Amino acid sequence: MQESDVHTQVAPSDASTGANGVAGNGGDPLFESVEQPIDPSSGTMIVFERVTKIYEPNVSALNDVSFAIDKGEFVFVVGASGSGKSTMIRLLLKELEPTSGRVVVGGRDLTRLKRSRVPLLRRNVGCVFQDFKLLPNRTAGGNIAYALKVQGESKASIRRNVPEVLSLVGLSDKTGSLPEELSGGEQQRVSIARAVVNHPPLLICDEPTGNLDPDTSVGIMQLLYRINRAGTTILMVTHDREMVDKMRKRVIALEDGRLARDERRGGYTSE
Amino acid sequence: MRIKLLFSESFRSLAANVSTTVAATMTVLIGMFLLGLFIALGSWAQDFGETQKEKLLVKVYFCTEDTCAKAATPAQINAVRQQLASSRLVDEVTFVSKAEALDRMRRQTPQLVENLSSNPLPDAFEVKARDGADVKLVSASLRQPTKPPGVEEIKDGDEVSDQVVNVARVLTLAFLVATIVLLVSSALLIANTIRLSIFSRRREIEVMKLVGATNWFVRGPFMLEGLICGVVGSVIAIVMLLLAKEAALPAITNRLSTSSDIQAWPFVYVSAIILVVGITVGAVGSGLTIRRFLNV
Repeated sequence: MQESDVHTQVAPSDASTGANGVAGNGGDPLFESVEQPIDPSSGTMIVFERVTKIYEPNVSALNDVSFAIDKGEFVFVVGASGSGKSTMIRLLLKELEPTSGRVVVGGRDLTRLKRSRVPLLRRNVGCVFQDFKLLPNRTAGGNIAYALKVQGESKASIRRNVPEVLSLVGLSDKTGSLPEELSGGEQQRVSIARAVVNHPPLLICDEPTGNLDPDTSVGIMQLLYRINRAGTTILMVTHDREMVDKMRKRVIALEDGRLARDERRGGYTSE
Repeated sequence: MRIKLLFSESFRSLAANVSTTVAATMTVLIGMFLLGLFIALGSWAQDFGETQKEKLLVKVYFCTEDTCAKAATPAQINAVRQQLASSRLVDEVTFVSKAEALDRMRRQTPQLVENLSSNPLPDAFEVKARDGADVKLVSASLRQPTKPPGVEEIKDGDEVSDQVVNVARVLTLAFLVATIVLLVSSALLIANTIRLSIFSRRREIEVMKLVGATNWFVRGPFMLEGLICGVVGSVIAIVMLLLAKEAALPAITNRLSTSSDIQAWPFVYVSAIILVVGITVGAVGSGLTIRRFLNV
């Protein structure tokens, strides 16, 4: 898929907000707002069922939160700091256990998942973080290769997959660069490449554009959008109001640990 | 995890963390060098004590076919035992059979026993006097009026005061305690160094866990690194000890002019102990330490 696919889509709304830095497209919106073409009938990816998480002694981070996310969806999770967004992500990765309720990912009940199976879960859930979390002493290619080595992939498969995914994120020429030699946006691209190299059905992004300037953020969002179009479910926590308003995707808003809003094509704030 | 991958991961992180690698290796080196020194000195002191104690003993050697016309009979041996046991001067009588004597010799001076086809050593009694000063009286009482039948030779102990033996005993004990203290403290020191190196890489561990590495996938290379540090540190310590032994020891012993039959444990034993301890502390130390950081 070409990057121009995304640029050339014409969408009716939000043209006024503008998208600086998108080459030659003037006031075009970045992302189409039509429903995605991948088949939506393939079931649910994430289910939160009356999930409550209380940190010791009695700080409640999530309070009776329920929602379901279908396969192939692109969902924003918004909310102020301390509203429970990070807790939600940590529950999805089974870094934490809910105090009550059920968390189901890809049909698997995480509360019943054995600890020894957690690495398998994480291999099927790509993660992208605000601070990239790249291994500092490995090159861009090495970081991606490590994710494959961990799963016991063969050398041949690593040699085939790493260049492929690097070209997907537009960094074919940076394979041998260390993270410190890359810009923030490039590091985030590497981190995304690492997250999707083994084609996980679910990609979780924790403020992936939080440390990046607006222009770079646009590039990252285009990349994530393309990944989503290819069929990967994306759950993205963000503070980027402009981006959420522009994309018109499903928005889940948390407020003090409660589900405040769940809109199919929402904005950052409710209208 | 495949062995090749394990080794390549270990070596790349050893190379990438040179300063912590060197620090851990040096810690092992120092700990193991001191351990080896203490074991050598301690075992020397123990042997010194044994030798002194030996000197306090009166030894009664019985006839064998080689030394007298015929070997001493059990009855003759029993008679001597009774005579000794009834004496007020005697504290303890120990029977050392031919076989035991050979065993002892094999342990102390293996090179002498190597080529023996049969056992030439006699049965013997080791007689401990109630007081170190009475050694001569004990042997004299046994000789009067004549040597009992079946006895080939009676050897006096030297008149060494009990105090020398006591000093040697205290010395041995002191070295034993010092060795244990050293063992514990160097284990803690090494564990601490490893902890620091792992702590400085906890972010790395966190990332490994996030991309789905199993605990053993993360732990394996760390343990192998610890093991390599342990091996390298111990081997250097052994080399240094060997140099010290070859260079420094002759200079000291010449001046002391002590008898050469006092021996520390063979160097091979000491080396083996150092190597085993070094490797164990290195590998197990990192394996245990990393557990705390694995629960991401």
